[in-house]
Amino acid sequence: MSGERIVDADVGVLGAGPGGMAAARALAAAGLRVVVLDEGHRAGGQIFRQLPPGAPHEAIAEPPSHAHGHALLDGFSASKVELRSGAIVWDARPGRLWFEQDGTSWLLRCKHVVLAPGAYDRCIPFPGWTLPGVITAGALQVMVRGFGVVPGKRALVVGSGPLLLPTVTALVSAGVQVVAALEASSRWRALRALPGVLGNGARLREALWYGRKLLAAGVRLQWGWTVFGVEGDGRVQRATIGKVDADGRPRRDTARTIEVDVVGAGFGLVPSIEAGLLLGCASRLLPARGGHCLVVDAEQRTSVAGVYAVGEACGIGGAEVAMAEGELAAAAIVRLERGAPIAAAVARKAARERKAADALLRAFAPLPGLHELAQPDTIVCRCEDVTLARAKAAAALHGTSHRAIKVGCRAGMGPCQARICGPSLQALACGQPFVPMDLPVAQAPLKAVRSETILQAPQA
Amino acid sequence: MSASRLPGADARPVVAFSFDGQRIEARAGDTVAMALWAAGQPALRASSRDGAPRGVLCNMGICYECLVVVDGDTVRGCMQVVRDGMDVRRGGKS
Repeated sequence: MSGERIVDADVGVLGAGPGGMAAARALAAAGLRVVVLDEGHRAGGQIFRQLPPGAPHEAIAEPPSHAHGHALLDGFSASKVELRSGAIVWDARPGRLWFEQDGTSWLLRCKHVVLAPGAYDRCIPFPGWTLPGVITAGALQVMVRGFGVVPGKRALVVGSGPLLLPTVTALVSAGVQVVAALEASSRWRALRALPGVLGNGARLREALWYGRKLLAAGVRLQWGWTVFGVEGDGRVQRATIGKVDADGRPRRDTARTIEVDVVGAGFGLVPSIEAGLLLGCASRLLPARGGHCLVVDAEQRTSVAGVYAVGEACGIGGAEVAMAEGELAAAAIVRLERGAPIAAAVARKAARERKAADALLRAFAPLPGLHELAQPDTIVCRCEDVTLARAKAAAALHGTSHRAIKVGCRAGMGPCQARICGPSLQALACGQPFVPMDLPVAQAPLKAVRSETILQAPQA
Repeated sequence: MSASRLPGADARPVVAFSFDGQRIEARAGDTVAMALWAAGQPALRASSRDGAPRGVLCNMGICYECLVVVDGDTVRGCMQVVRDGMDVRRGGKS
C-alpha cells in the first residue's frame, strides 16, 4: 500500500537554501541520486528568495554576493536533483526522513543525510511586539524580496547584527521611508567586526555596497539604540525608542516616540538544529554563533554516522559559509561513494569562510541587557500567551531549567515548539540576563502535521 | 498600514478568495498572509487569552502566529498559497 509513498535516493538533503543547493548540485554532478526536501515554495531558502513567476522585480536592489546565489540557483535547477517543495519533515532517523507534502505522508530512504535547515530570527520580547505590523527582519525581507509586497509607509528597523543592512535596503527598494534604523550594539563594539570584514575581500565589498545604499537613501544607522515599546489600536501606530548601555540595558531617560506603521526586528539568528537533535547528533553551545549548534568535524560529519550538517545549523555564518560547507559535505560523500579524493581547495574555502564569519559575528553576540525591555505584562510566549510575570513566577516555583518553566506556565508548549520564546525564555524568567537556554528537547513531530500523516506514515 | 505592491507590470493572473466573507483579490503565487497584508489586513488570528489581534511574525513557517482556517483546515497563512475561491477565516482561540 505505502510503496508508492516511499522515495529512495543515495542522499537526502534537508533544505534548499545555499548550503543544501550547493551540496545537492555537487552530489548530482558526481552521478548520485539526490532528493532535496524543502518547506518553501521555491528553491533558494530565505536568503535567495525568488519572487513568484511573473511578479515585477525591477525595483529590488541586490548586493554583489547575490550573484553567487543566482549562479547556484541556475546550476541547481539545471541539475538532476529532485526537489520536493512544500515538504514538511516531521520525523527523522539516520537514513530515513519522514515528510508531509500536499497533505500526503511520505518516507525518504537514503544512505546519507545532509542537514541544511538554515536558521530563523532571534526574537527578543518588548512591550507591544505582539501587535500586527511588528515582524522579524527576516519576515520583512521575505515580504519584499519573496513576494513583492510593500510592507508599509513608515518603517522602524531595530535589532543587532549585519542583517539589519539588507533589511533596510529591502525597505528602501520598496519605497518605504525608514524613519529610524537602530543597532543595539555600540559603534565601539561593532569595531570588533572590522578584522573579519577587512580580511575578506567579498565581505568588504558587500559592506561598502550597503554603506553606499544607506547613504543614497539618507538612512543613518543609530548605534546603541533600540525599541522600548510599540503601541497602536489593533496595529502598529507608534514606537518608543531610546538608547541602551553597553550591555543593551534600556536607558529610560532617553525615550522618545515616533510614528511608524511597520516595525522590523532582527536581533540575530538562531541555528535550526531540531532535526539534528532528533537524529541524535551532538551539539554544543556557541553564543557568538547564535546558540546551540550541531558539532561537525573538518568534513561536515556530525557525531552520527551518515549524517552531515552544513551552514547555519553548525552556527550562524551566512550564505557563503553555507555554500562552501555544502560543497565540502558533498565532497566527503562523493569520496565514500566514488573514491574521489576531496579537493584541498574545497576544504580550505569552507574553513576560510567560517573563520571570516566568526570574526564578523563575534561583534554582534546577543546583548544580555535587551532582556530588560520586556515588562511584567509583556507576552513572552506568543503561542500560549504567557506573560513575563507568569514565566517568572513559574521559574521561582518550579526551577530555572527550560523544562521546569515550561511545565510551570506552558511557555514553549505551543505549535512553534519554543522556537520563538525558547532562546530568551530562561534569561527572562530567571531575571539573569546571561543565562543561555538549555538544549531543547527534540521530538517528533518536528513541525505540526496532520494526524493522518503520522498515522499513515510509511514504515521504514 | 496602507501596504501595496512593488511597481512594475505584474504578469500573474488575479486570484480571488474570501476572508471572513470579504472578497480579497490576490495574485497567483501569493500566500494568504501576503495577499492579506497587501490588502491592508495584517491581523490574521485572535489570541487565545484575550482575543487580541495577531499577525505575521516570521513569514517563514516557524512561529505559527498567522494561523488561519482555509476551507476548514487550520494552516499557516504564510505557507498557504492562494487558490481561486478559497474560504479563509481568521484563526480563532486555539
